[in-house]
Amino acid sequence: MSLLANRAAPRQVAALPKRGRRGPRTGWRGPLLVAPFFVFFAAFGAYPLYYALQLSFIDWHGGATYRWVGLGNYTYLLTNPDFWGALGNSAIIWLLIVPAQTIGAIVAAGALSRAKLRFKRLLRTAVIVPYVTPLAAMAQAFVLIFDRDYGVVNHLLGLAGLPSVEWLTSTGWSKVTIALLVLWKSSGFALIIMLAAIQGIPGEVYEAAALDGAGPVRTFWSVTVPLMRHAIAFFVVISTLGISQMFLEPYVLTGGGPYNSSTTTGLYLFQHIGASDLGTGAANTFLLVIMVLGLSLAAVRVFRESR
Amino acid sequence: MAYPHDQVLSITSRRDVLRGLGLLTAGSMLAACGVPTGSDKPAALGSSAAPSAGTDVRGQVTLWMRDDDLLKVFRTVVPAFNAKYPNVKVDLKGVDINTKLPPALISGAGLPDGSFWEDDQIGQHGEHLYDLTALMAKYRDDTIQFKLDVLTQDGRLIGVPWDTDPGLLYYNDAVLSGAGVDPASLTSYDALLDAARAIKAKNPKARPIPLEQDDTLGMMWYTMFLNQQQGHGLVDPSGNLTLDGEASRRALTWIKTVVDEGLGARQKFASTAQITMLDEQIISLVPWAIWFIFIPQSGLKKTTGQWRVANLPAWTQGGARSGLMGGSSFVIPAKAKNPELAWLFYEFAVYDPEGYRKVFSKNSVYPTGLNTVVPSVKSALDPAKPLVERLPQLGGVDNWAISTKAALDIPAGYTAPTWYGQAAKYLGANLQRLMDGKMSVDEVISRSTADIKKNLIDRN
Repeated sequence: MSLLANRAAPRQVAALPKRGRRGPRTGWRGPLLVAPFFVFFAAFGAYPLYYALQLSFIDWHGGATYRWVGLGNYTYLLTNPDFWGALGNSAIIWLLIVPAQTIGAIVAAGALSRAKLRFKRLLRTAVIVPYVTPLAAMAQAFVLIFDRDYGVVNHLLGLAGLPSVEWLTSTGWSKVTIALLVLWKSSGFALIIMLAAIQGIPGEVYEAAALDGAGPVRTFWSVTVPLMRHAIAFFVVISTLGISQMFLEPYVLTGGGPYNSSTTTGLYLFQHIGASDLGTGAANTFLLVIMVLGLSLAAVRVFRESR
Repeated sequence: MAYPHDQVLSITSRRDVLRGLGLLTAGSMLAACGVPTGSDKPAALGSSAAPSAGTDVRGQVTLWMRDDDLLKVFRTVVPAFNAKYPNVKVDLKGVDINTKLPPALISGAGLPDGSFWEDDQIGQHGEHLYDLTALMAKYRDDTIQFKLDVLTQDGRLIGVPWDTDPGLLYYNDAVLSGAGVDPASLTSYDALLDAARAIKAKNPKARPIPLEQDDTLGMMWYTMFLNQQQGHGLVDPSGNLTLDGEASRRALTWIKTVVDEGLGARQKFASTAQITMLDEQIISLVPWAIWFIFIPQSGLKKTTGQWRVANLPAWTQGGARSGLMGGSSFVIPAKAKNPELAWLFYEFAVYDPEGYRKVFSKNSVYPTGLNTVVPSVKSALDPAKPLVERLPQLGGVDNWAISTKAALDIPAGYTAPTWYGQAAKYLGANLQRLMDGKMSVDEVISRSTADIKKNLIDRN
């Protein structure tokens, strides 16, 4: 058969499987192919979750004996100032990070996606580098950089005639320093998300905006940002999850101090687990899950309704 | 533009999520009564485990150590152990013990046959550890009493005492000489304050006494002051809190005086800031655990050779010149596969002169000997037979004699409550407030007592 003949041949349409009332028959192959996922999910996802939920109703420190406490662990946490203190610390850190990082990433992505920008590749690489740097190493470097007596930041402040700041040892500034570390570390990730979103916007939309007489600023706020709302929602949810679980940053930078003022919800949870107070730790986990789930659903709804 | 997560969120409605959580909760509450499957207290590891001859013993033993210099030191002991027990293969592993051992003990999975552990961590896991009372019987009289006190839980001895960490006074001799202070006069904490005042009068920038910024270490420092005065620490033999006692008030008032008179330097142990302050002669009087010794040995540049060591000052006339700050032991999990072999190794390393000499005498890791701790075995603490060499960094003073005297003088009766580590969140944080001048002595006592009772004692 020649190539020409082959081209001329009518296209064969594969016969569709006969559909019964229950859909296409796949026999045992379909369930078999998806079974590994369900087995792994049941073993390493669902069962641990179920077990942890059981733990949250008992007082157990890992010994041979345990005590049923019902909702006791939950009421203990919900009436404990330390739990709310940790939640408040995380909320402040969230406020210091997420709005600034989100807006900054949108603006930076807009700038980096501009065709005429010079050194675009270099800039893109530069902002990603912190994201691939090990967090523990950077946190340790921040301890040195922000040391009250011998850190380079206070040295520079001194050269500028400004007073020293207790970056790691005052109740207010310790949270700011943690936020600075997170901003430095994860802004590259925020930029990747926003850059991907901005590059997915069709060029025709911008052409239409230009025909309507919209300038660059108007186009950015009225066209680009609204079309990025899914990415923004995604980033806000991911960031909220990350901050609710934040552990390493305060652990290395401040140890949760001074006076527990930088103890985040993740570090507070670790303190229970680390002390083998497994019941309270499990209850703490589920309270966090419920709160973060609520916040995430609220964020998604806000961005969905802003269409 | 649509993202997969949007699809997931739209497929899984809020009602579905809540329904799922509700079902999960209800099911869990029904089943929760049967969660942990524990056993009764483990049987004691009996003296019958001891074999008649070394060659009779065979097998492999896995032992966990912290992944640090001590691991390297203990690896040098293995050949000597194998000379006595040639058919035992010893696998010493460096592990983050505080993270890995508790879950291993609880689950019984991946357990070692024995493990190093800090004394204040051991108590809360006593149910998972072998009772070594019978095996240790022949060594009790040769063991420092406070180590036996720390490791005894409900009459069960649950660890092999390893190191003793007495408190000592490290001071910069050049700074003291410059201020006209005779080091021999530092026999009381009042004298220490007077010395600090004299140093500050000579150098207004000086803040001679370090005030620790880490919650846990700060609490350990304060606990050393309690032990020094009353034997027991945060709790008395009946389990009652001692925060409002005379010893506690005396120690807290002393710390407050250091703060109020600007005699203290806020920093963390072994931090860059502390090392710089030591080298710049800002800090010059350090009542701290024996393990401070590694800083003059390795961390200082300008002031190396200026440092000296002495016994702690006393709180009262004729009072103890020693107190404990730290310490660790070896434990044998009740579900270990080869507990007898673990015991044999620990017995050799801790109580056999050949073993402990191998550990403490100079080696490739510690060229002058392991001097950051001292043994818990009384017969090893002979001032006339030093296991470690004198140090030029400490002006050649007899640090072995000073350390061993301090170890033997640690007041007996100390016990670590199972919640000791968790108390740092309350007492540790309040001590920090005191050291920052933001809390009074009375407030530290009342708030710490209330918080510890509510969050730790009543819930344990």
